[in-house]
Amino acid sequence: MEHTSLLERILRGAALTLVVIFFMFPIAWIFMMSFQTNETILRIPPQLIFEPTLANYTALITGKLVTAAGTLDIAFMRNLWNSVFLSVTSVAVSLLLGVPAAYAFARHKFRGSEDIAFTLLSFRFAPALLVLLPLTLYFQKLGLANTYIGLIWVYQLICLPLILWIVRGYFEDIPADIEYAYRIGGHSWFATFRKIALPLAGPGIAAAGLLAFIFAWNNFVFALVLASADKQPVTVGALAFITSSGIQYGQISAAIVLSITPTLALALYAQRYLVEGLSLGAVKG
Amino acid sequence: MTAATTVHRPSGFRISKRVLPYLLSLPALLVCIGILIPFLTSVVYSFQRYRLSQPWARQFNWGDNYISFFTDPKFWNTLEVSLLYAGITVVLELLLGLGIAMLLQKRSTLNNFISIMLLMPLMTAPALAALMWKLMTNPGFGVLSYLASLIGLQDFRWASSPSTALLTVVLVDIWVYTPFIMILLLAGLRSLPTQPFEAAALDGVPRSFVFFRITLPMLTPYILTATLFRLLDSIQQFDIIYAMTQGGPGDTLTVFQVEAYLNFFQSTNVGRSAALMIILWAITYFLSNIFIKNWLRLRERARGQA
Amino acid sequence: MASLELKNVVKRYKSQTVLDNLSLSVADGETLVLFGPSGAGKTVLLRMVAGVIDPDEGKILIGGEDMTDVDAEFRGVGMAFQNFALFPHMSAFDNIATPLQARHSSQGAIKAGVESVAKLLKIDHVLSHKPRALSNGQKQRTALARALVGSPPILLLDDPLRNVDAKLRFEMRLELPRLLHDRGATVVYVTQDYKEAMALGNRIAVMSQGVIRQLGTPEQIYREPANVEIARLFGDPTINLLDVKPARDAKGIYVGLSNVQVHLAGAYEAAVGRDCVIGLRPEALSFVGEATPGAVPVTVEAETPLNEKIVTLVRTVRGREILVSRPAGTPGQTEGKAHVAVDGKSALLFDHASGERIGANKVVTLRSGEAA
Repeated sequence: MEHTSLLERILRGAALTLVVIFFMFPIAWIFMMSFQTNETILRIPPQLIFEPTLANYTALITGKLVTAAGTLDIAFMRNLWNSVFLSVTSVAVSLLLGVPAAYAFARHKFRGSEDIAFTLLSFRFAPALLVLLPLTLYFQKLGLANTYIGLIWVYQLICLPLILWIVRGYFEDIPADIEYAYRIGGHSWFATFRKIALPLAGPGIAAAGLLAFIFAWNNFVFALVLASADKQPVTVGALAFITSSGIQYGQISAAIVLSITPTLALALYAQRYLVEGLSLGAVKG
Repeated sequence: MTAATTVHRPSGFRISKRVLPYLLSLPALLVCIGILIPFLTSVVYSFQRYRLSQPWARQFNWGDNYISFFTDPKFWNTLEVSLLYAGITVVLELLLGLGIAMLLQKRSTLNNFISIMLLMPLMTAPALAALMWKLMTNPGFGVLSYLASLIGLQDFRWASSPSTALLTVVLVDIWVYTPFIMILLLAGLRSLPTQPFEAAALDGVPRSFVFFRITLPMLTPYILTATLFRLLDSIQQFDIIYAMTQGGPGDTLTVFQVEAYLNFFQSTNVGRSAALMIILWAITYFLSNIFIKNWLRLRERARGQA
Repeated sequence: MASLELKNVVKRYKSQTVLDNLSLSVADGETLVLFGPSGAGKTVLLRMVAGVIDPDEGKILIGGEDMTDVDAEFRGVGMAFQNFALFPHMSAFDNIATPLQARHSSQGAIKAGVESVAKLLKIDHVLSHKPRALSNGQKQRTALARALVGSPPILLLDDPLRNVDAKLRFEMRLELPRLLHDRGATVVYVTQDYKEAMALGNRIAVMSQGVIRQLGTPEQIYREPANVEIARLFGDPTINLLDVKPARDAKGIYVGLSNVQVHLAGAYEAAVGRDCVIGLRPEALSFVGEATPGAVPVTVEAETPLNEKIVTLVRTVRGREILVSRPAGTPGQTEGKAHVAVDGKSALLFDHASGERIGANKVVTLRSGEAA
């Protein structure tokens, strides 16, 4: 790299600038829109300088949009709450189910263990609707249609393979001797799991949990198929919002900003683990 | 010393060593079974004439759903659009992702900062990303529509026009998923041993030669894994297309999952919908088998380094 | 305290047999050293006794009780690992305390127990450190302290000195025998270092390929090795091995070394006329005057003083290289022509084809209780 010419450095710089603009611009623009009134949004050419307003956020948070034509109810906070509840609960359930299984797969090579692990992995790659469409019919029969329980169960499809394969890798990284030493010291397998394996795999489990949260939050199709308005998360809710509220672009932008902020914040927080998580443990960052 | 002589004996309830691992993975196993049931149901549906609107006419028609695909232009359209969409997005994302990864290869504060920033589109829900782009391409006030008009493309209709709809959704897909390929390849590039590159630099080997003969071959496992990963997701793309155009205009963007969704909920044709999904599943199953082989190799390598 | 017994233990991994129908018994309070090259099955054997690996066949008895199906935590053994296996998220104190915590001892008892063993092993000043802040020697002592702290009746030490530097290894080799003896525990000690084996073991079991090749006191293993391989493993400098074909004359059985007839003391009738290998320990050779009967003419090639002895490399007229060792400070030959005498009593004779030692006093045994 020491021999790079000036021209090359300029070209590299220009290319990187273009890259940053392309990938950052939409987020920046939506962010700006969310602080604008409809009048400034609709102005042509688009304005870079405007008087920011919090009215869009106020309307979303209070759930009431007061316009000249009257008051409009916005259920967006409900969607936001659904997203939080569904994602948090799904991840918690996934951790509860997935961490012990990951431990079993990492430590005990038992008959059929790889088959189960790979079947779970294959769920990650199978078309979601293949399972979802028959499930809608089953859910109606079982009374699970449009329930949080039904949704959380289906969300395991996203969270469980992720947690299982990432956490399994972290357990495999703990030398078996360390666990042996603890057991020989007189502790049961469960104490060993709790006092040795869990703390040592702790950062990995936390990272897998955060990633699973992001994927659950970002999921669209499960809730689109299985939930009605009152159970829908932001991804589906925002789409409904854009068609129902028509021209309330300021609020729509604010809703999008509120919807993507949690995942972006978590991603920045856990970015060290993202590479490993996104590749299901195949690539270390 | 006295304590030492008393050997602790197992007492009370004790889980046998052989049963324990099964017990631990039981929940995961149950989830597996829970998912396999609807999967098998799909297979059964795909061999049935089954419309939700005409439940009385439900009966096995065996391969009819599949056979009718041969003469069904809508099916061929679905297949063509799906493959086209997957092909274009993966190739463009791979080229772009590799290019950006190489721009950011050198570890510096700025490069690390940029690579973290570029994660943001990837962490945005694809459905919400589609909405963002929908706003940006709004003919009334969208900033992209305005920019298009500036370069002489008056009334450029983006996703609303059959001729540019594919281009628009591909653009959104690129925006969301290029960072995925970039970040995997960047990790790959940074994990490569430095000696071959130092030796090549000392010998004054041309850069193009270094790239094609050293960098690319060494990066191949990463490229393969990232590409197959994306291909598997891209051929099943639903969120972006559905949120942006619901498969339209017309049937311009009725890729597999969108078509199956519309078949199920609009035409209530469960049989055809299931048959479509089984075909998509067959394609992804084939691809995922190749993928998993590569992925496992890479995973073992990563674990080996740990 | 407790004795330890393994009966016909078999362990296979896939098609490979790691332990092949192995039986062994260790008396109460005895220190048994498992010695052998890596891959011999020593570590597997140790882990089996500890209860973290299950045998495919056979039984493991501790204090006469069948422990084969008993989980590790109920076996009452202490173990120190070659790679230390310290808990990285706990301080040295907590590391050492874990076996006491498992017994629900009181805080005071735990503190007293940890501190006394830490003092014994001279790590009482680093108890608050995490393992990554400890030197290798301190890690090793922490691991040892953790194994010792609960005063387990059976102590398993898996090459605990492998990963520490030479100086510390030397010190510990002096320190450990007394430490282990004072504890009174039954000890199984794995090592690849023959000096460690000789220094520590009441008995040594020499293992290779999942089988015990020889079991005996250090003295027996050294004086009467079962085969060439074991003779080579024990002894520094390595034993001299020369191809010979023993013959008989009026004075008895002799071998020809550089046209000199060297008579052997021992019952070697069976070896006459066979292709054999003679093993001569370097200290069984000595420089003598030309006139001495049986003196072999050699040329001195090089001399290496090692602390307490001097090793000389000499070459016979036939060009074979031999090492001669003598105590430091005794006169020798530093260059040129010399003569070497062979102590016919300590010479060892092995069959060329099988490598087995030839001789009347056969001590090769796989069963317990036969070694003196």
